[in-house]
Amino acid sequence: MKQDSFFSLRVFPVLFMAAITLVCITVVTGIHLATEERVRLNELVFQRMAVLDAAGIDYPEDDAEGVQDVYEQRVSSENGWYTVELEDGETGYVISVSGAGLWGEIELRLGFRENLEEMTGIAVVSHNETPGLGARIEEQWFTEQFRGKRGPFEAVPEGTAEQEDEIDGITGATSTTEAVKDIINRGIREAPSIVGED
Amino acid sequence: MAKGVVKRTFTKPIGKENPVFAQILGICSTLAVTGQLENTVVMCMGVMFTTTLSGATLSLIRKLIPGRIRMMVETLVIATFVIIVDIVLRAFAPDIWRQLGPYVGLIITNCIIMGRAEAFALNNPSGLSLIDGLATGVGYSYVLIIIAFFRELLGTGELWGIQILNPDWTNWTIMVLPAGAFFMLAIFIWVVKGAIIKEAQDGR
Repeated sequence: MKQDSFFSLRVFPVLFMAAITLVCITVVTGIHLATEERVRLNELVFQRMAVLDAAGIDYPEDDAEGVQDVYEQRVSSENGWYTVELEDGETGYVISVSGAGLWGEIELRLGFRENLEEMTGIAVVSHNETPGLGARIEEQWFTEQFRGKRGPFEAVPEGTAEQEDEIDGITGATSTTEAVKDIINRGIREAPSIVGED
Repeated sequence: MAKGVVKRTFTKPIGKENPVFAQILGICSTLAVTGQLENTVVMCMGVMFTTTLSGATLSLIRKLIPGRIRMMVETLVIATFVIIVDIVLRAFAPDIWRQLGPYVGLIITNCIIMGRAEAFALNNPSGLSLIDGLATGVGYSYVLIIIAFFRELLGTGELWGIQILNPDWTNWTIMVLPAGAFFMLAIFIWVVKGAIIKEAQDGR
């Protein structure tokens, strides 16, 4: 093949690119298909763990099947919200809320007792907050402090919450704390209409 | 293959020609993922995997690649390996995958990988390119791990999520912010250039 022939300059590069693209696509597709089931299961378990966390129900850690069992026993999914049998046998509800955080959208699950006033907990499903600061809303001490409390909430400096409507803010992440607090307070206001819809 | 060449190929990217502190490449990810040690290590493993295998693969087909479209081919091969890392993480380490977010995908645009493909893999045999890719990955990784070590320790008092410093320690909030990465990287480059590279120049 001559160096400057029409074929080597125009045709071969196109054929080469097409061939290598085909090879790459085949490899990626193969790996995607091989892991598809696992990825789907991971996502499902993650979503279900969030509901259980919000309802304050214990489940075995690092055990996908255990999570599924507990979930299927206690939770029934309604139209965008969940009815839950709480640890003490009473009925509770879990709803989904989302709103603007500091950098991006924050999506939460809020758990309530039957009266829709006392909370059983919250769970963070997704957020884009600063790692090490705002991202601490994922940490257990933060999400668990809502258990047994009634909103609407006020955020106070970290470690000073005492009243039933006070929550510990996160030092260095005031904006994120305020955003989460606002989303939760809105969720508390809207909970009766969300759960009562049908 | 002469033994000296192999050794030199391996030691260059780790020392004098380190991609991060000597060539100042790959700074985006150096700043972005060094807030926590665990994320950093996973990211480094992803980069190491990609530099090694993309270097070796491109080197294998280097004589076939038409010069005019070589960058498209490089990007495509690199992207393929990065997507593999992304899919594997999503399937087997979903928590870390969620935290790293878009940064795994951004390995594709890490100029270190593209740079090594252009500068080394296209001109050298496959075995040597594999070693070069691995060494570049190691050179990148240890710099990031050192930076992440100090950022997580000073910024949160923790290492790998475990409390190390006295709980009374006042967290240096700036360390977990992107600005902290600039400071740490600058200090690191200052120390290394002052200590190692200057010595090498004086020796000449």
